[in-house]
Amino acid sequence: MEIHELAKKLEGLQTVESIAKNLDVGRRTAVNYVGNLRKKGFVETIYGKRKIRMYRISPFGAKKTGYPGLYEFLNQNSKIKIYPPYANRIHDHKPTAEEMIVKAVQTGDFRTVLSSLSLFNKITDWALLSETAKKENVGRKIGALYDAARIIIRIRRMDERTRKSLLKSRIDSKFIVKNARTKDLKNIEKKWNVYLPFNKADLEAYKE
Amino acid sequence: MINLEEQIGLFKIIGSQLKNKVECIAIGGSAMMFYRAKNSTKDVDLVFLKKGDLESVKKILFDSGFNERKNIKGIFREDEDTSKPIVMEGKETRFDLFLNEVIGFRIHGATIERLREVHEFGNFIVKTASPEDILMMKGCTEREKDRDDAAELIKRFNINWNVILSEMSSQAKIGMAAFPLLLYDFLNELRENYKIDVPKGITKELLSTAEKQFKELKKKGKLTTATKYKK
Repeated sequence: MEIHELAKKLEGLQTVESIAKNLDVGRRTAVNYVGNLRKKGFVETIYGKRKIRMYRISPFGAKKTGYPGLYEFLNQNSKIKIYPPYANRIHDHKPTAEEMIVKAVQTGDFRTVLSSLSLFNKITDWALLSETAKKENVGRKIGALYDAARIIIRIRRMDERTRKSLLKSRIDSKFIVKNARTKDLKNIEKKWNVYLPFNKADLEAYKE
Repeated sequence: MINLEEQIGLFKIIGSQLKNKVECIAIGGSAMMFYRAKNSTKDVDLVFLKKGDLESVKKILFDSGFNERKNIKGIFREDEDTSKPIVMEGKETRFDLFLNEVIGFRIHGATIERLREVHEFGNFIVKTASPEDILMMKGCTEREKDRDDAAELIKRFNINWNVILSEMSSQAKIGMAAFPLLLYDFLNELRENYKIDVPKGITKELLSTAEKQFKELKKKGKLTTATKYKK
């Protein structure tokens, strides 16, 4: 069977057993097929519970160009994983955590914003974060999210200059996620004058 | 002809010169190259949703040595000028820049929701149309090469035929009256000449919608003539 045809036939999530059943072949042959598909870039391996391997097969996924976009970057660097709504690649430069936090906030999506909290640990250039956030009018939102993240995750300290700069920055809307307001992180909301979308219980996902 | 690496190179040049964020949708061979369903293409087809975005890319292309071609041949609606692309010709490649509409197919909310990939080149953001949409756009043209591309798409990807059916009625509703008939003709040709497996129910449904559409238009006295390869 041609490799593209195989990728088309097996599109979706598969295990070795399901591939063997679908193609009516033995387990060993199914493993070989997965190997061939992987060589062409059609397979992404994900691990289920008890380290059981699952394969995400897509006829679109042949050898990617450029660098990972927002969702792939978050999945690589955060404990909270996201199912990407589309494949995203960046071609002109290697993306940085500073840039990705700002992009995550711009999506206005609850889970994406929650997932981006762990990126604060990857920040090496606070001045760059402040500059990018101010440029996109999300400065105070980033500051509030940083304070919220510190409640649950151990994060490097933000320098005072960045903090002050973010505090003074302008924003387009007070909501980080449309119409979502926290019940128990009011002190952070008050300090930054923005509405945080999650409660302490949502942040517990980082402890699991 | 241009391959994927060269296309990415050109997009990077555009992205580095744009001052503001510009978004567009890659269709046809250009999108198929991103999907690795094609190695090279003759023209890079891009659809813009804002006139200003199209103009700024056009200017950058002009500054990069591309010239605008004025005498364009193709199938266009006689009543509107917007369906005509702006063609920017370089030495070895060509850019076809469309605004909201691609020869007989209008881009709308559902098309945008179906986009598969987003490629960022600095300020230039290129999104790729879904295989279903590319297939439908190919159905509105008369070129032999488009038939080959469409056949390749059906061979490679699991085409969601329900999307095609729902899009057919959306296109007919937003004024693309000939769309169901063109698509019916196109899929029939694919089935006969390329031995492609197109579900029979789909072509049947397309034909009945097309007939209904024409009856309605005839009643209202709104039938207009379509001209192929009009200068």
